[in-house]
Amino acid sequence: MKIVTQIKNLENYKIYLQVEKAVHGFMEKNNYLKVDLPVLSPALIPESYLEIFETEFNYFDKKEKLYLTPSPEIFLKRLLVAGVGNCYYLGRAYRNSEPNSDWHSSEFTMLEFYKLGINYLEMAEEVLKLLQEISNKVKNPSFAKATEGKQKLKFDRWEKYSVTEAFEKFAGIKKEELFNEKLFIKKAKNKGFNIDNTGYEDLFSQMLAAEVEPKLGVSGYPTLLYDLPKQMASLAKLNDDGLTAQRCEFYINGLEVGGFCTELNDYKEQQKRFILEAKKRKQNKMIDHTIDKGFVKALKYGLPFCTGAGIGFERLVMIFSNTKSIDELKLISIK
Amino acid sequence: MRVNAGNLKKGEFVFFQGEICQVQKADFYSPGKGAALMKARLKNLISAKNVEYAYKSNEQVEVLDVASVDMQYIYKDQENLYFMDERTFNQSALPISVVGEISRFFKEGEKMFVYMFDDKPLTIRPPMSVRLKIIEADDAAKGDTVSGAKKPVTVETGATVMVPIFVKVGETISINPETGEYTGRV
Repeated sequence: MKIVTQIKNLENYKIYLQVEKAVHGFMEKNNYLKVDLPVLSPALIPESYLEIFETEFNYFDKKEKLYLTPSPEIFLKRLLVAGVGNCYYLGRAYRNSEPNSDWHSSEFTMLEFYKLGINYLEMAEEVLKLLQEISNKVKNPSFAKATEGKQKLKFDRWEKYSVTEAFEKFAGIKKEELFNEKLFIKKAKNKGFNIDNTGYEDLFSQMLAAEVEPKLGVSGYPTLLYDLPKQMASLAKLNDDGLTAQRCEFYINGLEVGGFCTELNDYKEQQKRFILEAKKRKQNKMIDHTIDKGFVKALKYGLPFCTGAGIGFERLVMIFSNTKSIDELKLISIK
Repeated sequence: MRVNAGNLKKGEFVFFQGEICQVQKADFYSPGKGAALMKARLKNLISAKNVEYAYKSNEQVEVLDVASVDMQYIYKDQENLYFMDERTFNQSALPISVVGEISRFFKEGEKMFVYMFDDKPLTIRPPMSVRLKIIEADDAAKGDTVSGAKKPVTVETGATVMVPIFVKVGETISINPETGEYTGRV
């Protein structure tokens, strides 16, 4: 690693601190309890698309595998089950096999918060208020420019698209094609996507990234993309239409900044998804970690009706510091 | 050479939908809810159009093994730039739309590298820096003494460049042709 001979990015880092302060202020004002959490855990939720960091605790003959948490969810949901109420975590999360790029760092900062008694669309209003608060508090003359027209970004409303509307408008995919796996894969093939060994979920992500995302959050307002297909539900509750999940993501300047979903509190469904994900991890030869069975037990005990939101904190700061990469926010990095 | 799409780099050449494209941008992107992706901007070297594409990062992609040949830029017309291989005297034409904005800084007679595949020219390898003489410049407006103030000047290829106000007509300057920025006096 190189030595540091000059302090770089100080102005951006100061904006990072201002955004951090604004977030804490917002959370305190709205009665969210700040919680600090372990980042080392002996077991994790199996997720087939997130690789993890593995380490080991040693004490004489005792050896125990520990994993850096890719998200604070396993701890926050336990606390919700125990009755902590509205709460948030702003701290580190770790994801392996993700090279440092403008938008990724294997060690990053996550803002995750839960509010009881509201669904994902009500959470959208809460997130908008948070963005407004940050925008009012951060003092930076060059901040938050929109890509198109370079006007200042406004946070007084969302630009909203359901996934169905967005795919129709930006990718020319009709509703009946979007939700029919066979038709969707055929459409993807016609567009030139390589469909060999590639299923619906991957092609959906590829088409979203290539054709839809660049058009989101570029008109001067943040864009809310809601009702993702049920195949992308992850830990979200499903909608009554049988096709979509109560999950959304939001974008600013073509970049996904965060997402939220009405939390799945059906432990049987959760258990099913766990088994499926664990199987996929094995197939993909990913690190064979201990599965957090206590997490399912906690859900069985009873997770209150709530919505959780996760925001990539560095990406959020990038918006308000008008920077193009996570690295520009750091005083020191291992890059 | 086959590589994981996750290792694609700017400037490399790939086949995309049966046509040769040059990677303009390649960024790793993991949405967390589907496969990790490599978001790429590919320039089709026939139509000169850019296409946005997202590879799965573990997808195998054939990166073309191209040669870069030393050539002399001889002239241009409405559509093409013409280059000559000085050893064989063979001429190659490249559409201006494929080479892009950078061609504003090409001076006739200059040596350049042209990427070739199967004996066909693809595009040029951008020089790190070009040196051009200023042929037209306004004197700095009186009283304009703000440090870092800039003015537009015209260089011998006809392109306009922003330079510090103290730079004068007749001077030769170096320019980064990819960004069009003044980098110094020569």
